[in-house]
This record gives sequence, structure tokens and C-alpha cells, in this order.
Amino acid sequence: MSEEDKKDLIKEYLREVKTKLPEWLKEKKEHKEILAELEEHIWSKAEELSGTDQPTLDTIQIAIDHMGTPETIAKEYKRRGTPKFYITEELWPLYKNVLSFAFLVILVINIIIPILNVVFDNTSGGEIFNNVVTGLQMGFLWSFVIITIIFVALSMEGYFPEDFKSKKTLEDEEKQVELAKERGLAYETKTGKPLKPFISPAGEIIGGIIVIGIGLFFFIQPIQGLNNLIDPEFLLLVRFGSLFIIAEGILDMTRGLIGNRQVSTHQIIHVITIIVKLSSISIAGLMMMRPEIFPIIIIDDTFTNIGIAPEYYWLFRTIAVLVIMGMILGTLENFTKIYKLEKYKISK
Amino acid sequence: MVTIIKRVRELGSKALIASPEFRDYVEKQETEINRGISSLCILSIITEADNKQHAVEKELHGYNILKDLNNKTRKMLVIEEGTLYPILRKLEGDGIIKSEKEETGRKRKYYFMTPYGKKVFNHLAGFYSKLTEAIGPLFDVKVKLRQDRYIYCPECANKIEIDKVDINFCEICGHPIQELRERGLKNNE
Repeated sequence: MSEEDKKDLIKEYLREVKTKLPEWLKEKKEHKEILAELEEHIWSKAEELSGTDQPTLDTIQIAIDHMGTPETIAKEYKRRGTPKFYITEELWPLYKNVLSFAFLVILVINIIIPILNVVFDNTSGGEIFNNVVTGLQMGFLWSFVIITIIFVALSMEGYFPEDFKSKKTLEDEEKQVELAKERGLAYETKTGKPLKPFISPAGEIIGGIIVIGIGLFFFIQPIQGLNNLIDPEFLLLVRFGSLFIIAEGILDMTRGLIGNRQVSTHQIIHVITIIVKLSSISIAGLMMMRPEIFPIIIIDDTFTNIGIAPEYYWLFRTIAVLVIMGMILGTLENFTKIYKLEKYKISK
Repeated sequence: MVTIIKRVRELGSKALIASPEFRDYVEKQETEINRGISSLCILSIITEADNKQHAVEKELHGYNILKDLNNKTRKMLVIEEGTLYPILRKLEGDGIIKSEKEETGRKRKYYFMTPYGKKVFNHLAGFYSKLTEAIGPLFDVKVKLRQDRYIYCPECANKIEIDKVDINFCEICGHPIQELRERGLKNNE
């Protein structure tokens, strides 16, 4: 029984413990310290059992037996995080973010592909609708299932969001939160990153005024010479549409006037903006149905409205579909802002 | 976690302990009960060492903690030795304890309470003491709190040493405790 045999016995046990440890712990290299502490414990116990500082192979084996199986030790390291529906509370925000990102990507893909189909293949409206619905259903379902399984597995292994970040990133975040606390700024509760002001009040006010100005222009329709050339029904639709533009401008300006406070009010204004944006789709829809009233003005000594030739109605409708899709995508900006504002509520 | 049922030998095939269902159920329940208590007991051992006068006595490494745990609980609360370290790591990660590594020799890691950890421990110890006192009658057990040495905050059960006369408000909830202490000290006389 040599000194080497004793060391080998302990090494073998530690090697087994190491293989069972969760990956996040191995990546941190902290496991070396953990294994060293276990080794020290085994030597201390074996020495005490043998009553000398030269433990026997048997006492070392007894000490190892008392340590518990490598699985039991590893299981304790995995017991980390607060349970929440099989995914720990610590991983829950990351899970939601990943899921939202995946859904957004699927949504965009499912909007872009039909658009490309319309442009290049002239696919029928019913077919497009079916493709979009099926694509969204399958995409959402599969991404939900896969992402959820991954996060349940990560929770069982005891992962925390910070385990996916480098040591340097974590240190930087720690410094940032200290700085934010010192300056009394809002900061993200999870990452500790100081939050920038969520709105540029002057920008919103100026932007709002410009939008209102554009809306008023379309509402008043001041160029009488042009108005005489255009179908009155089209002018009426434009006037209706301008009301939505003015409403959006007023909402932007209101947010600018409120400034970087009253987070909930900002969220409510974004909800109203979404409703306004989606409502304005009805105007685009009505226009899509009436290509014959759409004016095409050419300037040749005088202004002349030549309208759209019937063989190009399909192109007009395609462009209208693109505009409607663009309007729907435009609401995503407001949804994102509502979501991001949540952080300011927590840490302010 | 080594539960008492795990250590019991099967003496007869008809004994209830021979039933795997019974064994599993009881083992799970015992593990649940032991889990929280073991962290609290480990903190108690580290706190006790922290309060000692001599520097050597203050130095407590993993193996010593385990020995103390076995001795002081008369081997009722036995944890599998290897599982002590994940518990210590978690407590350190939560800022309850801190560790210092020996520079030379066997490079042992010594554990100490942090100031924040001491406050957390006092509250948990107070809560646990009051809880065991309250649930004692359910098991026909009488638990007597050391009211001659500690006062327990009436609001949050925080455990406060009676002779710490400079503390007039509970550190956890801010409840005034001066009157309570004076009453306690009077009773001790």
C-alpha cells in the first residue's frame, strides 16, 4: 500500500464527482476549489479514523463512503434557484425573453414569405392567409415546446442567467449598478445595468407636431386645383385617414409633454396608439378595394389624373397588402416599448 | 441528507420499514424537514465559533463544521459529508457567510459569518425558536426559550441578546424593544 495508491483512490472518487457536477460549475473552474475542499475533507476524516497522520487505504475508503455518492453531491449543487412552474424564478425572465424573440422572428418570417410569394408568384389571398395561419401555428408551437424543454432542463441543472455571461461582463455590470445606485438612476434589477431615459421629450414633441401638421394637411386638403381632379370618395377616405394621423401625432406629443415619468401613463398611451394604428388599417383596406378611385397625377403643362389601368389593379392591391402589413408591424414598436417600460417601473 | 430511517436496520420482514412505499415516503418527509434545519444548524455552528475569544477557535473549516454538527445534535442531524460543501457554497453565494483560504499547508477554507449573515441568522434563529416553542404542544413536547439570555421581537421573532443594551430597536423590523429588555432584565434579577 503505497502513498500513490491512497492518492489514486481519492483521485478516482474526485474524478467521478467532477463528471457528475453541473456544466455551469465546471465552466467556472470553481469546481477545482470544490474538489480540493472535498479532498482535504477526506484526508482529515481518514487521519482521524486511523488516529495518525498516516491514514490507511481502509480508512480513506471509509472516509470516501461517508462523503456520499458523487450523484448526491452533484444533486446538491443543482438545487439552485426558486421553483416556478418547472422553470426556476431566476431563469423565468430569460425564458420569456427568448420565447418573445423566437415568436417575433417567426412572426416576421411568416409575414415576409407571403409578401415574397405575392410579389413573385401572384398567390391568391386565401392561400396567403392559410399559409400565414399554418406557419404561425406551427412556428409558435414548436418554438414554445423546444424552448420550454431547454429551460426546464437548465432549471434542473441549476443554471442561472449569469452562468451564460463572462466574468468580465458580470464585473462590468456590478460596477454599473454601483454607479447607478450612487447617482440615484434607475437600473435593471436583474442585470444591474443603469437604464437610459426612456424618452426624448423634445424629440417626441417636435415629431408629434410634424405628424399633426401632415395630418392637418390631408384633412384640410388645401390645394383646390388638385382636389378637383381627384375622386371625392378618395378625398373622403384621405380625410378619414388624416384623423388617425392627427391622433397619433397628439399621442406622441402627449408622451413628450409627460417626459421621463409616469411610466404607466406612457404604457396606456402606447396601448391607445396601437388601437389607433390598427384602426387606420380599415382605411387602407377600403382603398385596396377601390383601385379605380386612386389618383395618379401626371404633370404635362397642366395636372392630369390618369388613374390606374385595370391591368395593374393587382399591383395596386399587392402594394396595399404590403402597406397594411407594414402598419401591423409598426405596432410591434409600441408593444416593445410597453414591455421595456416594465423595467422602469420595478427599479425606479 | 442522511435521514434516521436510512440508518434503521430492518429487523423483520413484516416490519413496516420493510415496505418500500413506507420507507420512500418517510425518507422524503424526513429529508424535507432536515433540509432547512441543516442550513440553520450550520449557521449556528459558524456563529458560535465566530463568538469565541481565541483566533484558533474562530477558525472553522468544513470538516470541523461537520464534526460539531454531529456532536451537538447527538448524531440526529447527519448530513452526507460531501453535501456540506454545496450548502456552504450557497450560503456564501447568498452573502450569509464568507470564506478565507489558508495560504500555506493544506490550504483549508475557513468559514465566517458576514455582518449581514449575522442579522439573517438572528432572525431565522428567533423564528425557529418561537416556532418550535409554538408547535411543541402538538407533539407533547415542552420547549423552553432562554428568556434570561434573549428577547424575541414581538413583531418578527428576531432573536436579540438581552445584554446588548445599546440596541433599542429590532434590527429587522424596527420595533422598539427597550421596554421588553428592561422587563426581561428585571425578571432575571
